[in-house]
Amino acid sequence: MLPFFQWCDGLAMSQAYRDSTYLFPLTQALHILAVTVFVGAVVIGDMWMLGWGPVGQSRTSIARSAQRVLLWAGLAVLVTGIPQFTTNALTYQRSWLFVLKMYLLAVTLVFTATVRWRVSIAEEGRLPSWVTRAVGAVSLSLWMAVTISGRLITYYG
Amino acid sequence: MPSIVRTFAWLEGLGWTTALRESPYGYPLIETSHVACIVVFAGLVIMMDLRLVGLAFTNAPLAQIQRRLFPWQMATFVPSTATGILLFCVDPLRYYRNVFFLAKLVLLVLAGLNALAFHLKTYRRADRWDEDSQVTALARFAGAASLLLWSATIISSRLIPNNWFK
Repeated sequence: MLPFFQWCDGLAMSQAYRDSTYLFPLTQALHILAVTVFVGAVVIGDMWMLGWGPVGQSRTSIARSAQRVLLWAGLAVLVTGIPQFTTNALTYQRSWLFVLKMYLLAVTLVFTATVRWRVSIAEEGRLPSWVTRAVGAVSLSLWMAVTISGRLITYYG
Repeated sequence: MPSIVRTFAWLEGLGWTTALRESPYGYPLIETSHVACIVVFAGLVIMMDLRLVGLAFTNAPLAQIQRRLFPWQMATFVPSTATGILLFCVDPLRYYRNVFFLAKLVLLVLAGLNALAFHLKTYRRADRWDEDSQVTALARFAGAASLLLWSATIISSRLIPNNWFK
């Protein structure tokens, strides 16, 4: 993996980020804003799955609407996250918190795109309610773990 | 020395604020809890705003979404505020002249006033939201203002460590 990290480090974009006083902090700020919108869309879907949404309200329609917000916010998270990574690639590859965040993120993304999506659009009553609730709880825990490990990189990375 | 600075210096000198500031875990853990609560709080506020401006969740009635989100917004607002106040107490002299911190406070007040005005004026007529176009226009305005104010609050908060204008 080292040649990949070195390639990231040597990108013109990474150099521009290192040379600028403002670019990196502003990207960090936009990243956390995008994360906030993303987490909001996750939580609203998870709440419905946990059974805390309005009674009689279609969970499927909420899930589909939240999906669009998730995709747009996810794109913004990625666009603002990548330059932060390439600029610090050589430092981050040695950061156990960054590596943990990436593994957590991979697991959470796969879980969200497969199990969570299927369960969130399943017709009401097709799955036992405990399954839906468990998936909502796991999703919420995983995304909060990704967010928290990301925040801690600043301190212990 | 102005009395407010004296008060902050006294606060900073207290045993427990000093202990938290000097501990390798105190400040980072409070700050991380602050961020974890805020992303849920502001995230849900933004979801409500997206519904108000008509960008998402348009197939669910506004009043119902608001009724269910509101308790969770409050449940995360309380620990967000508590951890925020704690963070200020740990290092008051570092924050009180920081441009981004002051901007954050102003933005928070404006966001609070917007939410209050919305609740007192518009929200009372929530049952008419879907039929009365004037109420919808007011709700849209409140949603757009809230989106802008909370986005600016989050951005200025993240910029606090970079005190560019000393």
